[in-house]
Amino acid sequence: MNDSLQDYNQVDVLIVGAGPAGLAAAIAAKHRRPELTVVVIDKGAAPGSHALSGAVLEPGALVRLLDPVLPGWPESDEAKGVLLAQVEVDDVLWLPGHRQAWSLRLLLKAARLLGLGYGQMLHAGDYICSVSRLASWLGKVAREMGVEVLPGFAAADLLWDEAAGRAAGVRLVDQGRDREGQPQRNFLPGETIRADFILLAEGCDGLLSEKFIAKAGLQRAGEQLYSLGVKELIRVSDQQYAKFGMHRVVHAMGFPLWTPLSGPDVFGGGIMYPMGDNRIAVGIIAGLDYHYHDFNPQNALALFKEHHYVRQFIEGGTLVEAGAKMIPEGGWDAVPRCPESGSIGKGNVILLGDAAGLVNMLKIKGLHNAIESGLAAAAAMASALETPEQLAAAYTAELSRAGVEREMAAARNFRQCIARFGTTAGLLLAAGGRLLPRFKVGPDYTRMTNEAFPRRVPTPYDKDTFTALTRTGHREEEPCHLLIGDEALCRDRCLASFGGPCVTFCPAGVYEKIGGLPRPANPSNCLHCKTCQRKCPYDNIRWMVPEGGEGPNYSTM
Amino acid sequence: MSNYIVLVKQVPDVARITDNAFDPETGNLIRSRLASVINELDAQALAFAWRMKEISGDTEARIICLSMGPPMAAEVLRYGLSRGADAGVLLTDRALGGADTPATANPLAHAIKKITAEMLAGNEDYFVVAGMQSVDGDTAQVPPQIAEELGIGCIPYATEVEFIDGGFRFHHIISGGSQMVTARRRPTVITVAQYDYHLYASFAATRQAAHRELVQWNADDVKPTAMGGSGSKTRVIRVFPPPKTDRLGRQLHSVAELAGVLREALNKQASRGDEAPGGDPDYLLPARRSSWFDRSFEGATKECDDFAHLAVILAEQGITEPEQLTEEVKERVLAAKNLELSPKVAAKMLDGLQQRETAYQGEVWVMAEHEDGALNAATFELVGKARELADSLEVPVGVVLAGHGVRDLAPELIAAGADQVYLLEHPLLQEFDPLSYRKAVAELFAVHQPQILLYGATPQGRVLAPMVAYRTGCGLTADCTELTIRDISRLGQLAVMMQTRPALGGNIMATICSRNSPCQMATARPGVMQRRPTDPDRRGEIVVHPVELSEEDLGLEIIERAAVGGHKVDFACEVIVGGGKGLVSRDNFARLLEELTTVLAAKFQVKAGKGASRAAVEQGFVERAFQVGQTGTAVGPKVYLAVGISGAIQHMIGVAASGTIIAINADPAAPIFKQCDYYLVGRAEQVIPELIDTLNQ
Repeated sequence: MNDSLQDYNQVDVLIVGAGPAGLAAAIAAKHRRPELTVVVIDKGAAPGSHALSGAVLEPGALVRLLDPVLPGWPESDEAKGVLLAQVEVDDVLWLPGHRQAWSLRLLLKAARLLGLGYGQMLHAGDYICSVSRLASWLGKVAREMGVEVLPGFAAADLLWDEAAGRAAGVRLVDQGRDREGQPQRNFLPGETIRADFILLAEGCDGLLSEKFIAKAGLQRAGEQLYSLGVKELIRVSDQQYAKFGMHRVVHAMGFPLWTPLSGPDVFGGGIMYPMGDNRIAVGIIAGLDYHYHDFNPQNALALFKEHHYVRQFIEGGTLVEAGAKMIPEGGWDAVPRCPESGSIGKGNVILLGDAAGLVNMLKIKGLHNAIESGLAAAAAMASALETPEQLAAAYTAELSRAGVEREMAAARNFRQCIARFGTTAGLLLAAGGRLLPRFKVGPDYTRMTNEAFPRRVPTPYDKDTFTALTRTGHREEEPCHLLIGDEALCRDRCLASFGGPCVTFCPAGVYEKIGGLPRPANPSNCLHCKTCQRKCPYDNIRWMVPEGGEGPNYSTM
Repeated sequence: MSNYIVLVKQVPDVARITDNAFDPETGNLIRSRLASVINELDAQALAFAWRMKEISGDTEARIICLSMGPPMAAEVLRYGLSRGADAGVLLTDRALGGADTPATANPLAHAIKKITAEMLAGNEDYFVVAGMQSVDGDTAQVPPQIAEELGIGCIPYATEVEFIDGGFRFHHIISGGSQMVTARRRPTVITVAQYDYHLYASFAATRQAAHRELVQWNADDVKPTAMGGSGSKTRVIRVFPPPKTDRLGRQLHSVAELAGVLREALNKQASRGDEAPGGDPDYLLPARRSSWFDRSFEGATKECDDFAHLAVILAEQGITEPEQLTEEVKERVLAAKNLELSPKVAAKMLDGLQQRETAYQGEVWVMAEHEDGALNAATFELVGKARELADSLEVPVGVVLAGHGVRDLAPELIAAGADQVYLLEHPLLQEFDPLSYRKAVAELFAVHQPQILLYGATPQGRVLAPMVAYRTGCGLTADCTELTIRDISRLGQLAVMMQTRPALGGNIMATICSRNSPCQMATARPGVMQRRPTDPDRRGEIVVHPVELSEEDLGLEIIERAAVGGHKVDFACEVIVGGGKGLVSRDNFARLLEELTTVLAAKFQVKAGKGASRAAVEQGFVERAFQVGQTGTAVGPKVYLAVGISGAIQHMIGVAASGTIIAINADPAAPIFKQCDYYLVGRAEQVIPELIDTLNQ
């Protein structure tokens, strides 16, 4: 290879996002075609540092990914450290109040026997894993195969050439500007990376993915709906951990988010997963179509932790890590497609995993589809090697062949039913959701009202400690990466109608009222969850990418 | 054309300590559980070198990164290559492991020679640029010792560089202020204390770096004259977790309460400082003890217990003097039925008991430091400590006083506890220059051979000490917080100085002893040791030592000495008000702190000073010389009042020696609240004027 620095800005395959989807694509592509230059970039400091999920993994896709490249992998210590244990008991609970917990397992088993969609909610046989650790491990596997995994490089834009129907490459973010945006003496303008194939695997609400969708004219049949997950990792006593067990996961509906008829109505629920080393992950997932102006996701988490069932396992424990992330829940109708061809991408650019929205809400899972999409992307590249602009079509066909389309289509309308009719009626209707026609649901941010969340916590949740435990950080002097479109909207309308909800919903406490006006006062606390971009009631916030290597540093989220 | 050799070190990431990093049994930090990163100040050093190359317009200049460490340290060289370095050299060999600072500096210096010869075509016009210190060692000794080995100059604590009239001008921190200097000679070592324009990795260069071969050398390639554990002059005796904070962490609810606490702390503390240390002696020479076999002054409690047990058996056998310990007697003791020690260990202990001589002989010395005709507080604290050590050892205290026209300061030193003041006077010692000072001090040292030499861990002491230590072949321990005389009887070493210091960003403590070293040298943190009450009637002697120096012996040319804000920074105060980012603006900072310190000084009849957090300095609220903390100055006032300071660990280490810490912060979750004695939640602009009013009432 000619060793001119310029040459290194040209690659065969550029994957944006070192999560399960992107790394699966990289591994599979490198395995199929070792001669390809496969580069994965990620805005986090390391693969997995921005990855957060429950998680329970349906292992099929992972097995198909790794079996050919790492024979005997399930026996390796690393694999065992990632796939912690198989689920034996999936406790699906109904929490009517803060004391009682009723198991829904039998009900769901019955549903499964009847062939109702809800049966998929049971996860026995799947693996409990931390997605940050999974990504970290896949990153290592990829590197060992010769994939260039380069964290710390944040992409700012996709160079889409509409006339050619393909993208030339990706531009990285400018780095080294001062707070006012002026270049400092160490300013490094964003480099342009040219690539034949561009795989966008940025995760939920990806910056490039959304830009690409807009530039290339991709369309969603239904609105993308989001939920926000906030999660803590708690180190508990030997006794508590033994009592909980390594093979049990808890999915709880009801308290504190939803009490039919009389109480609050936020779609979502609580989770508890054992993560090894006496650590239990406890989290709340809340649909962002909630309508309470003062809803605070972590207050909900605090209430959940106070529930008698939960408390017995975590009382007296030590918080060791925390994190927050959005989940794309809109399902198959919200997957962006090329209006002409129906492909999930266009030309030589495709969308993978959460960036496409491949989360199955009946299973409450997307990880398996993320890996599956990576496999599909690799297969598509192999078939489109000489004709990169055929990538999107080939990829979409591969996804369909792999059964992703069938699975996703079965869960179609699930989330829309709830968004449209409320949790209680929605859940009932959603049983046959796939049979209902597609109906229109507005984006999450349009749902805000001046109603207050009816449940209060005795002491407000300590967001500063939460943020500290995410180990997030940004250079204090860089330009604020959260842009407010029109301050007048905040001042004249939002304050009066909703009191500045960004101050309460942002899990990292980024927004504060300064001089009475909600402002992104602490951008360096940002967890890159992008809830603000999707829940600001006036759609008045835009999340821009900060410098590379910043943001949270998750290790077991 | 100048080239640049940048020293980069791979260190554990102490900024991100994972929850499993501490051993649950011992509480010690387990280093291998931390991620490895480039030492932050070395990253800044690379940026500094890159800046020098850029402003000099010298596109031909080469930047070569050099690292010594295990093979995985190649990572930090790739860090350099992805950010504008032209080449990377890794010095790696098992034989180089386990080294202290001189045994690290020596191989690095030899590697630098090899780089110059082989990679820079013998061009002797180069700068060695390094971070001032590493976060794991925190000693700041290696770069000055490299300069010493190479026989070249050293500009310590650099913060900025300019290129004027074809030459570089360096801004650097000195004790109590800053200077602008040029290097009188090249090559020169530059240590970077703070340069915040770190370089960003370029995508293309990162990829290229991954494909590049690094130059890799082993010990045989560079042929060091000292290396590894055997070439070291110190050894670590013990590593233990830092003591738990005994700060009260009590919340105050009103400004009136705050004023009350201030009043009480300043009054109470004032009386404590004057008390002479009484009670049991810190150390007694074995000859002074009731029995020669009394070993209650061992470095470790277990040793004391073991020797006490042995003493019982010796007493049972009627052995009272070391002369009685013949081979036959020893065998009898080892055969004693009630001996609970392994015979091998006991035999060693018996051998050790026959040692009559102390391990070191000579006086206990202190290197005095002065600014603008006045000795600094650290000097008096060291003299107090030296007096205590010397009394235990029954030897005189000597103080080295170097400068020009400084003889008048000698009586103060005698009154503070010195028996001899060694006067080094020369016009070229007027301003501190590492090269001239180290030469004069080393020459004096060679004549008198003291057993202990203490320096202040100040910007001056921390560059002078490593150079003198290297020149005289002595071990040196940096930034000690505790110095005691103890026996290591098992090794037959009597009356050695145990040097305890924090390491790894204050996460662990280590007790260190000198070895293969003619003298035990240490720098001590200002504010940690107690000064003794002045005794104007004390008698002492001034010993004038002739100094021969020429311009050739200087390394720096001083262009400008920054008078900080019209007057110099003085941290030797009873109360220091530290200001942070919470003060919001430069105006606030100046006005509120000035008013408060004035009132405090007037009301309590004390000296009151100003300090700042790193964040406040970065915001431009105040000059850098006011910075308190690990990269600034460590302080130890009776009361430290932190206003709008969040409480970063680096800052808190620097104020750990304070009597009472009081914090005011608007953020109820500010970490400082967990590390202080009293705190009040409130905004500085509100609290301070109220406090002033209350104090004035």
